[in-house]
Amino acid sequence: MMGPYLAVIVDSFRSALASRILWIAFVAIWIFLAALAPIGYHEDYTTTFRWFDLDNGTQMKAMLARGLVDPAEADTALGRISRTFPADINRKLRQVAKGEDVRIDKDALADSLNQSMDDEQWYDAQAWKSTVRLSELRELDEIPDDKIDDSLRRRRARLRIEAALPGVFAAQSARSITLSYAGFDFPAIFLIGKTQFVALVNQFVVPIMMDWLLGFALIFLGILVTASIIPDMLQPGSLHLLLSKPISRTLLLLAKFIGGCAFVFLCVCQLVIGLWLIAGWRLDIWNVRILWCIPVAVFLFAVFFSVSTLAGLRWRSPILSIGVTCMFGAFVMVIGFIGGYFDGLVRGPDRISHMAFDGDQVVVATRGGELKQFDQDSNQWIKLIEGDFRRRDLIVPPIRIGDDTIATAKIRNGRFNLYGSGSLDLLLLDGTQDWKPNPGLRLPNGTRRMFAIGDALVVLNNTGLMATEIEQAAMASGIETSEDDAQEETQTSSGSDGESDDQPPASIGVTAWISDLIRMQGGATEDFVAILPQSVTLTEPVRVAPLSPQRDLIIYSRGRLLRLTVPANLFDHSNSDSPSESQQQAVVAADVLLEDDNASRTVLAAAGESVLLARQGEPIRWIDAMDLNLVAEFAVPDDQAVISMIGLGDSDRFAILTSDGRVHLAMMDADGVELQSLEIAEANAIEFDPQQNQLAVAHHIDAIDFWDLTHRPDRNLSGPAPTLSRKIRPTLTSWRSIDRYLVTPLRTMTPQTGELSQMVAALVSGKSSFAIGGESDEEQEVVQLKIARPVVSCSVFILVMLTLSCVYFSRRDF
Amino acid sequence: MPSPIVDVQQLRKTYSSWSLTGRRRLEAVRGVSLQAFPGEVFGLLGPNGAGKTTLIKMLLGVVKPTSGTASLLGRPIGSSIARARVGYLPESLRVDRHHTARSALRYYGRMSRMSSSAIATRSDELLKLVGLVGRDRESVRQFSKGMYQRLGLAQALLHDPDLLVLDEPTDGLDPVGRNEVRKVIDRLRDDGKTIFLNSHILQEVELVCTRVAILSKGQIRAIGPIDELAHREDQQLTVEISQDAPSPSPSDWSEVFTDPHELAIESQPIATGQRLTMTVADQDQINWVVDQLRRCGHSISRLQVRRESLEETFMRLVGDEAEVE
Repeated sequence: MMGPYLAVIVDSFRSALASRILWIAFVAIWIFLAALAPIGYHEDYTTTFRWFDLDNGTQMKAMLARGLVDPAEADTALGRISRTFPADINRKLRQVAKGEDVRIDKDALADSLNQSMDDEQWYDAQAWKSTVRLSELRELDEIPDDKIDDSLRRRRARLRIEAALPGVFAAQSARSITLSYAGFDFPAIFLIGKTQFVALVNQFVVPIMMDWLLGFALIFLGILVTASIIPDMLQPGSLHLLLSKPISRTLLLLAKFIGGCAFVFLCVCQLVIGLWLIAGWRLDIWNVRILWCIPVAVFLFAVFFSVSTLAGLRWRSPILSIGVTCMFGAFVMVIGFIGGYFDGLVRGPDRISHMAFDGDQVVVATRGGELKQFDQDSNQWIKLIEGDFRRRDLIVPPIRIGDDTIATAKIRNGRFNLYGSGSLDLLLLDGTQDWKPNPGLRLPNGTRRMFAIGDALVVLNNTGLMATEIEQAAMASGIETSEDDAQEETQTSSGSDGESDDQPPASIGVTAWISDLIRMQGGATEDFVAILPQSVTLTEPVRVAPLSPQRDLIIYSRGRLLRLTVPANLFDHSNSDSPSESQQQAVVAADVLLEDDNASRTVLAAAGESVLLARQGEPIRWIDAMDLNLVAEFAVPDDQAVISMIGLGDSDRFAILTSDGRVHLAMMDADGVELQSLEIAEANAIEFDPQQNQLAVAHHIDAIDFWDLTHRPDRNLSGPAPTLSRKIRPTLTSWRSIDRYLVTPLRTMTPQTGELSQMVAALVSGKSSFAIGGESDEEQEVVQLKIARPVVSCSVFILVMLTLSCVYFSRRDF
Repeated sequence: MPSPIVDVQQLRKTYSSWSLTGRRRLEAVRGVSLQAFPGEVFGLLGPNGAGKTTLIKMLLGVVKPTSGTASLLGRPIGSSIARARVGYLPESLRVDRHHTARSALRYYGRMSRMSSSAIATRSDELLKLVGLVGRDRESVRQFSKGMYQRLGLAQALLHDPDLLVLDEPTDGLDPVGRNEVRKVIDRLRDDGKTIFLNSHILQEVELVCTRVAILSKGQIRAIGPIDELAHREDQQLTVEISQDAPSPSPSDWSEVFTDPHELAIESQPIATGQRLTMTVADQDQINWVVDQLRRCGHSISRLQVRRESLEETFMRLVGDEAEVE
């Protein structure tokens, strides 16, 4: 039955093989592969410090200065490391200690640290016992000095330095990759292990190659060569003979179409198989999934060839076919660019990232660094705090701290100012004043999160947890803080005036340098007391989840899980004017170490008597909140990445937002963890409203659905699903209207060829999403790879074009 | 009478096209009816634009008729079963340049749903028949137009069709080649194949066709055996009479040939007597002329009846509509 059509396809292959352009393309591919073949890599221990490893320069300066001048640090690890720096840096550090604003080049600091690794005279086992040592360091410390090679010794030295300066360095992989070409090393190294290197190749390098080599060069070449196939077939001496044969016109055209893809198939096979072999032999990445690029590239070509086919049928001219196809390609590209800009500048900034509720009032923070309140009368979001998306302002997630009071803060240049240098004021929104933000207390540097624990406002920054009294914060919100700042600045400058660099540290006013340095480090301030016990040092990634109604906080700190109890008398001023240090600290109620302390992305949530912990690439752990022991493990639904999790009040229930934009409810029953999906799509944030006992799900950028959870007193997930109690569907702004009614339909109708590289990334890596960005959850963004959309849009497009072509070819008289 | 292989009834084809000035309609075939029977070599004649190619395209299912019906081998046109039994040689065969004669035959054989072994066997026979043995593995890029025609003829015969549609089969061939094609056609006719021949070369049609149809402006002007197409009423009769009897004057000749036939006589003295030329309608009139001359005592030394040639018939029917190429 299919013999004639197979003959047409085979004939197309023969025709392609007889094409000179094909052989020119083959030779070009072979030259390219030959040029690529000498590439290689080797994996080393990460030893050398680079400037970008110093994640928090301000804190590092402050710590080193403190280690240098504080007599109490003389024999600590910090003090010992601080003294290894050369004289000129020491001099600058002393200036820092005096409160002067001194710039120290990060490169110089990194070079000094690298030099100090040559001779570990500074190391003292006793001094390092009090530091937080990663399991890797603990293992290396077990190896006798005479049995450790140089690279491992340098690795150990680096880890010791990192342990002495917690919170200063970016978490880097223990291994790093150096690329080489024909035996010569490239100067740049990748601070990633082999696993990450493989992921990098699979998720970025292969898709980029797909984009440029396969998606652009070969497709264009393919169109040039195949544009004549249909016009040639329509030549009278050829077409009439073919049509006189006992074959179907539709199948003849489809066979010609498939045969036309032969050219690209032959080229792509050579290129992809060549790349696969090079990746295997030279980079030791034997990833068969790379071969998925072959069908995807042919599929991509089919999109353009379907246009060329219809144009060829209509005008019977190869030149016109090429011209029309190129115009179509340009149109697709322009639509892609416009869509990308609308994603980045219109949709992205409006996307709700966090929510806070007070009664019926809803306040949200957006990805664009804005704070908005929903106005029911106008059915619109009213901006409370303006943001600049391009400047990457960040809003500290708002929380309700009392009736008509919501607390937040704005970090200018947030994503470029990870540790919040510069002033960072607590902003209190007063519901009685139309939620106008009132600046209040000065927050500790680098504040990322706030939690209301009883009467305490607890903030998390890069160094630990600080707390202040909510009442005090509320009172301060009515005070002109600028006067306080001016006073502080005056005091600081007067303190440093008249003191020379050579003055001994002992002569520095103790209050001045301690408070300044601690503030610079992100430590406690006048208004915030550090509540983290001294035995606890936080190492990124750090996640905190309040456990209500107890005054407990669940903390995850790179492989360590803690339950801290915030004392009820934290701000008890009745007995003493200055409470003792132990009174001001939270108490470690439970402390466990997990098996692995890698720096993978982590999400944490707590509710009732349970804790959920999701680390990237691992199942979600259901943990008992009291003793922090593992209760159960369960897989992430549909193998998606977890974007966020929240505890649903005190009910031992959780909501999980996954990277496919779906929300799942999880609770434990006799059979284990039971999951139920809410009927919602494109969710971008979840929050629990304890007042109304509602789960709020922000979806489709800035719409919110409220799910009533109250009807389930028995906590039985098998019962009826939560009911939708309220919806927020804001009126679209003008740009959003353009996006919805013009750009989105255009994008829907246009095949999303640009997104096929995402499909390649997903196919090659075997993952449908991945996290990009830094360690804190505000910086990180989970990228959901679009797999279905480009396939569907391109398939539908090909189908429509081929249907049109077949109808035209069947009905047309030739 | 056997069932016709080709049966066309009131076939019409109107091409429509749109332009800035509006819709344009062109009636290429206007109610054509014809039949070709098994074993016939049926010739289709007509000037350029007469609708011959459109008619062939409709028969092959390449073009859909606007109205009317037609069947090939007892099945409606367009039927793939019928097309499987038809061999077609297009006017200007175009074979993809990557082919050799043998690979092209393999390709077209597969298109006719033939097995590989059958293709191989038939290819050997046909390459020999069309004179391409020894050049069957050359690229067609090196082929002359005549070799293309031979290859085209071979592919048309490859699947041993019952009906052959040949569009200008001798186009581009040298006299030897034309003669060979004529022999092939004769042989096929002898084998009982039906051949539908479209040719501009009237002498060739006259030599091989048993019946012809003359098409002009989309309509059949004449159809039938070539002999019958000649204008019988216009047969020219030339009679030479000897001098042994007194020759009457031309006016007297009209008295000789009066009732019941009034013939216009042209007389012309010749060395041996006189030559009379007249137009007669049929054999009865010829007999009557002879009888009259004999009755008057004339001795007939020579008598010649000259009928219309195909070319004259064609020109008479088509007239000034077109020139024969």
